Amino acid sequence: MKRKLAALAGLLAFAALALIHPAYADSKGKIYYMVPTLLDEFQTESVSAIEKFLKDVGYEPITLNADNKTDLQQSQMNDTITLKPAAIILAAVDFNALQPSIEKARAAGIPVMEFDRQITATKSDFTSVAGTVEIGQVAAGEIQRLLKAKNGDVKGKILQVLGDPADPYTLDIQKGFEEKMKEFAGVQIISLPAMQWAADNAGTIVSDQMVANPDIDLIFVHAAHLAVAAVASLEAKGKKPGEVMLVSSNGAPVGLDLIRKGWEQVEVEQPLYAQAAAIAMFADKVVNKQEIKPGNYKVLGLDSVVTIESWGPNIKIPGAAITKDNVDEPRFWGNLKAPADKITPVE
Amino acid sequence: MIGSRQRALIEFALDNLVWFMLAIVLVVFSLTIPNFLQIGIFANIVEQSTFVGVMAIGLAIVIIGGHMDLSVESVAALTAMVTGMLFCSHGIGLDLSLSPEWLVVPVSLVISLVVGGLLGAMNGWLVVKLKMNAFIVTLASYIWVRGLVVAISGGRSAQGLSPPLRSMGIETFIYIPLIAWIAIACFALFTFIMGRTPFGRHITMIGGNAVATFRAGIRVDRLVVISFILAGAIAGLAGWLLAIRTSGATANLGTGMLFNAFAAVVIGGVSLKGGVGRLPGVYAGVLLLSSIHTAINLMGLPAHYTQVILGVLVLAAVLLDTVKLSIRQRLT
Repeated sequence: MKRKLAALAGLLAFAALALIHPAYADSKGKIYYMVPTLLDEFQTESVSAIEKFLKDVGYEPITLNADNKTDLQQSQMNDTITLKPAAIILAAVDFNALQPSIEKARAAGIPVMEFDRQITATKSDFTSVAGTVEIGQVAAGEIQRLLKAKNGDVKGKILQVLGDPADPYTLDIQKGFEEKMKEFAGVQIISLPAMQWAADNAGTIVSDQMVANPDIDLIFVHAAHLAVAAVASLEAKGKKPGEVMLVSSNGAPVGLDLIRKGWEQVEVEQPLYAQAAAIAMFADKVVNKQEIKPGNYKVLGLDSVVTIESWGPNIKIPGAAITKDNVDEPRFWGNLKAPADKITPVE
Repeated sequence: MIGSRQRALIEFALDNLVWFMLAIVLVVFSLTIPNFLQIGIFANIVEQSTFVGVMAIGLAIVIIGGHMDLSVESVAALTAMVTGMLFCSHGIGLDLSLSPEWLVVPVSLVISLVVGGLLGAMNGWLVVKLKMNAFIVTLASYIWVRGLVVAISGGRSAQGLSPPLRSMGIETFIYIPLIAWIAIACFALFTFIMGRTPFGRHITMIGGNAVATFRAGIRVDRLVVISFILAGAIAGLAGWLLAIRTSGATANLGTGMLFNAFAAVVIGGVSLKGGVGRLPGVYAGVLLLSSIHTAINLMGLPAHYTQVILGVLVLAAVLLDTVKLSIRQRLT
């Protein structure tokens, strides 16, 4: 009995320590960032970037991780609404399921900003995206270039490895990619999902498909961490760097490393730092419910466009195609060199 | 009236039912799915069985002993991440080097076994000494150990595994990678241990009736703790093999493997009540699941079909087990 009580006391003390938060002096208020998962380097780095940039402009950031669970994110939204923060930044696990939560927050007077995952079914106070469909389209453009260089024309066999098929993010990339590729009759696309975004599942898919379809010209994976497992499978099958072309999206450090090693030809980057900086730049306007004017803005040196859409003000920041010619540029978040200069709010 | 030869044949069929199912499934797939019938595909099936198979060994030992261990997937993820963090050169890898270079293989293996074994010991202590329910203890471990993986990695990945380690995933022997041979060796070793050693016999007795086993003078508590330590260490080995296969580690590596390991254990004939089960059947169950995964990949079916088929297979295995029991009863 004594042992059980001692173990329980120890656990409670540990839990109490884990819950202690430092206080921030002279803050303009708390802004909650609802990150969908921390199992993905893009999301992990987005937390660092958003927290840093929000502090630059005087807010106290608090991050809640939904662990890829829609119901958890919904309940996080409900709990956060009761705390009446200055604003909420949402990267939704499920775009449609979070619509009622967004409407509830805004009805309670709490502005909601969308980060990276664009929700068009309801109004938000600000949206900062690269555009997941656009990422698929940029990837398609690069893949067309690579196939033409290899085969003399845009033709060949592509293995497309998706993320978890329940994730709208990967479905959007697939949509953008296949839309742009459908005009090329000589291209055959084999699409298979890596369940739960697990790298070992991607490795298994590549391993099986390289045996069943040894004439695959190019593999397109929807996240850089899947590319690592894909390369491991190619290597195990005796392939050398560049023998089977590889394109990935999201711009994680692993993808850039694979470009340097010659395994990967293109990484389509989501401009994470610029997307996060845009949130911070417009935070004052959003919190104080001021008008956001449409037009061109420079966000960390990138030409970005704010338009007023049916879902509210939307800033679109272009994603870049990273190749071996530009892989070391510090602007790519995969090089993990966050901008040191303080972000300033838009006047 | 059934003759003794017919009875022996029926008993043999019942004992090896899952192997017959595997053979039938492979024949059907070979005849109906284009590109399935190739040595490379069969080698892939054996290779892909490695991780779930090794995980299933430890899980089966604990279940045969009358308990449960839901933490094996998270333990494997942790040891994969530890291996990646120590011996990868990129990402969050620390690129630890040893002289001579080949030492990274045994050192990383020992670290994985120790980490897994310690977690297994903690589970065993809570179950035996504090008399907590194994399902709850290991469910909590499943959650907090995965959280620990995210915490120590910061959600980042390690890649670029040390070449001597990576070579284990590349080099083959009779078309099959070395890591798959390690899994086969594990099955052979633990089949021997469970079938031919006092430890194995006692664990089976404990699973059948712990009280009677205790009264027979066998140290039940000690053996249960050892079974949890073994499950943890073997899960640690599975994680080490996973890191080799993917040349690194990500925070979500191995997600979903617990269900597959569970399914393989049940399909392989291990009773969830404890006291019944043999490891060769579990290996056949793992191969069966891998064959179905591969077939779905090659057919281009949506991957959700895998979940549906797996669930139906588990149900069929439990039903078959009931039918087997009633046939055995009629024979006696």
